[in-house]
Amino acid sequence: MSGTCYAGKMLRVDLSSGRIESEEFGTALTDLHLGGRGVSSKVLYDEVPPEVEPFDPDNRLIFSPGALHGTGVPAASRTTVATRSPLTGMHGDGHAGATWGGELKRAGYDLLIVQGRAEKPVYLYLDDQTAELKSAAAYWGRLTSQTHQALARDLNRPELCTVTIGPAGENLVRLAGVFHNGADKGVSARCGMGAVMGSKNLKAIATRGRGEVGAADLPALRSAYQDYLETIALDPYCPPATKYGTCRFMMHRVKFGIHGAENWRYGAYDWSRLDPEVFRGDFQVKAGACVACPIRCRRDYRIASGPFAGITAKVEWETIARSMTCGIKEPEAVIAWANLCNHYGLDVEGLGDTVAFAMECFEKGILTKKETDGLELRFGRVEALLELSRRIALREGDLAGILAEGTKRAAQKIGQGSEKLAIQVKGGEMTAGDPRGMPVRAVSYATSTRGGDHLRSNPYIEEIMTPEEALEWWGSEEAADIAKGLKGKGRMLKFSEDLVTIGDILGLCKFAYYRSATFPYLYRKGVHLATRFYNACSGRNLSEEEMLLAGERAWNIEKAYNTRCGADRSDDTIPERFFSEPLLGGGPSGGAVVEREKFDRILDEYYEDRRFDPETGLPTRAGLTRLGLKDIADDLEKRGRLAG
Amino acid sequence: MARKARIVYTNRPWEATGICSGCRLCELWCSVEHNQTFNPVRSRIRVVEIQTGIDVPVTCQQCPDPACLKACRFQAIALDEKLHIPLVDEDKCTGCKECLGACPFGIITLDPATHKAIKCDLCGGGEPACVAICPSRVLAALDDEGAAEYNRRRFAALLAGDDELRRLRPGGEEPVPEKLRREVERP
Repeated sequence: MSGTCYAGKMLRVDLSSGRIESEEFGTALTDLHLGGRGVSSKVLYDEVPPEVEPFDPDNRLIFSPGALHGTGVPAASRTTVATRSPLTGMHGDGHAGATWGGELKRAGYDLLIVQGRAEKPVYLYLDDQTAELKSAAAYWGRLTSQTHQALARDLNRPELCTVTIGPAGENLVRLAGVFHNGADKGVSARCGMGAVMGSKNLKAIATRGRGEVGAADLPALRSAYQDYLETIALDPYCPPATKYGTCRFMMHRVKFGIHGAENWRYGAYDWSRLDPEVFRGDFQVKAGACVACPIRCRRDYRIASGPFAGITAKVEWETIARSMTCGIKEPEAVIAWANLCNHYGLDVEGLGDTVAFAMECFEKGILTKKETDGLELRFGRVEALLELSRRIALREGDLAGILAEGTKRAAQKIGQGSEKLAIQVKGGEMTAGDPRGMPVRAVSYATSTRGGDHLRSNPYIEEIMTPEEALEWWGSEEAADIAKGLKGKGRMLKFSEDLVTIGDILGLCKFAYYRSATFPYLYRKGVHLATRFYNACSGRNLSEEEMLLAGERAWNIEKAYNTRCGADRSDDTIPERFFSEPLLGGGPSGGAVVEREKFDRILDEYYEDRRFDPETGLPTRAGLTRLGLKDIADDLEKRGRLAG
Repeated sequence: MARKARIVYTNRPWEATGICSGCRLCELWCSVEHNQTFNPVRSRIRVVEIQTGIDVPVTCQQCPDPACLKACRFQAIALDEKLHIPLVDEDKCTGCKECLGACPFGIITLDPATHKAIKCDLCGGGEPACVAICPSRVLAALDDEGAAEYNRRRFAALLAGDDELRRLRPGGEEPVPEKLRREVERP
């Protein structure tokens, strides 16, 4: 008997009273919601009603390792941190690939809920079954890396796992993340998790666990593992991932001309020095990996010479992309900026868009040197990017204080028409590539449950599907046509959202499971193998349909959460810039805009397939009860937020 | 008799994928091999992170004249007849930890569940679990001759100089052919 992938307990920490309670976890939550984002979304819905503001002590910080995290399932490395987001005021979560979540499970807990607010800075120390709150006076104000190292030293645990916040989180910067094992391992970045942790006066959670994480059926697990290895050996998507890391996505952006450079204005841009070959040849330390991952696309880059010599940082594709949003063209600057953000505890995606917003304000004369304290805040100026980022983390000066609130709030404060320059959806900054020329991607940003985001769905499916497959799956060949297709795209988007949600629930990395060169490989990894891994580890017997349904369920809970917070169809939109300003810089998508009519038609089909009311965008009772969410339908009805 | 084999970190530092990636799959699957559960603390191979980007897998060197054996006051560690490596007799082990302090590599440890000393047993002689699972193929079970061959190669690389190797093969591998380059264009 080797147990299952569940530890069986949960821990609730009330920072106000100092009470720490271990509760039986049972199967009440895992039966329907499995783990990870599935469980955290449900707990957030149940425990944080809309009356509780993000920085209220009653808001929860929910740490939920993916169901398979802690096992030897390939790339099962991800942990979800969820809260009511101070950035969007809606459902918020962030995901990171590191060892901390597995350590939490080995300490005996599938779920950790933090509530309340400590009077003075504290950290939580979990050493197997003992849990205590300790003073964090010695660590407050210190960088993420310093805090991690100091805790490991002071607790005499060199192999300690931690989650920490940096100065940005302490200063309630709404762009702050929660950092796993110091600066360079992984970060639950989006939605301002770090600020919520800071508002609770919780500096860190230090964890050591020596317990077991099992698998119910080891032979089945071994056979699925073999099949996974064969699949990634055949899938042409995977070898370049090992070779280049995520900076390979540059070639995709170049192919479609969708860089979104200089605050989402330029589609084609000078990328010559940001070539994956340059990063690989001149800066790459090695092919690194998150825990348990055979793909190895994690990259640390080191700068050997020049003004930034000696700096090493973990850089992912989004750091490069958001640097371009700020007009940066040099790899050294990207690495130095990543280093700064990781140590101060900032989310590069939100921050990059926010700085780019400020830069465009400066260029348009809305901000002047008077407001920026002498900073020449122009696109492409490395010193400006670094200095403003540091100031934002520390809220140094009036402008930094305003920008620390995120793009949407900053634009409202600054006014003078700057609202049009704020590239955000529901308050969450945009990520990934420019949606102009790719209608379904535009809609995917709009429907994302945590604000503008590319990891909430996988509309890239349209790029890898053949017309025959599109006909079979979405009832229309044109769904495989990137620019012109319409029919079937809404259905495709809905499917892709459910699909990648499985990854967040099980703790499987999206790059290892939910990106592929062809649709059959994608389905094989993302649904077929994911289900086999889950069944082998949990001892349950879910079908592939039930697994997809679990993804759909989590999505609907988040949608219901946002609906309860007041969101409706009018919030499912993208910034006006994408509708009305043609993409600059020439290139493959030069001159393109998102056509509003196409956008609306895809959204209509999407709502219909999701069983939401197309008029209002509200969930329906039929749609929710189909997923076993009658309690949520009742709650929405009581609050007058259910359709019809 | 010479030891049958030992696990050697056969890294190829001039290749990007020839270095321990820090994925720790060896720890996870070693513990499954021996205990049917995933628990790095019960693994007989441990990945030590020296600093960001430098991870090193460490395991028993199967010393011919083992310090752990000499330190044991209960004759719980003896050289195995088949593999000629020191093995722990769980029935005799009292969990006194004397061997932990004696091992110069810190790689004989105490199992937190059984409170007995644990060390690499080469998985009984077949292909060890850590070697089989390693995606970067940097672990190998080598006999003394194999270890000498590997050491020779490593020494040659040292003489050539890492810089020279990197210059010839930037990032470690062959220059990217145009065909592969197109594959990068996929999302």
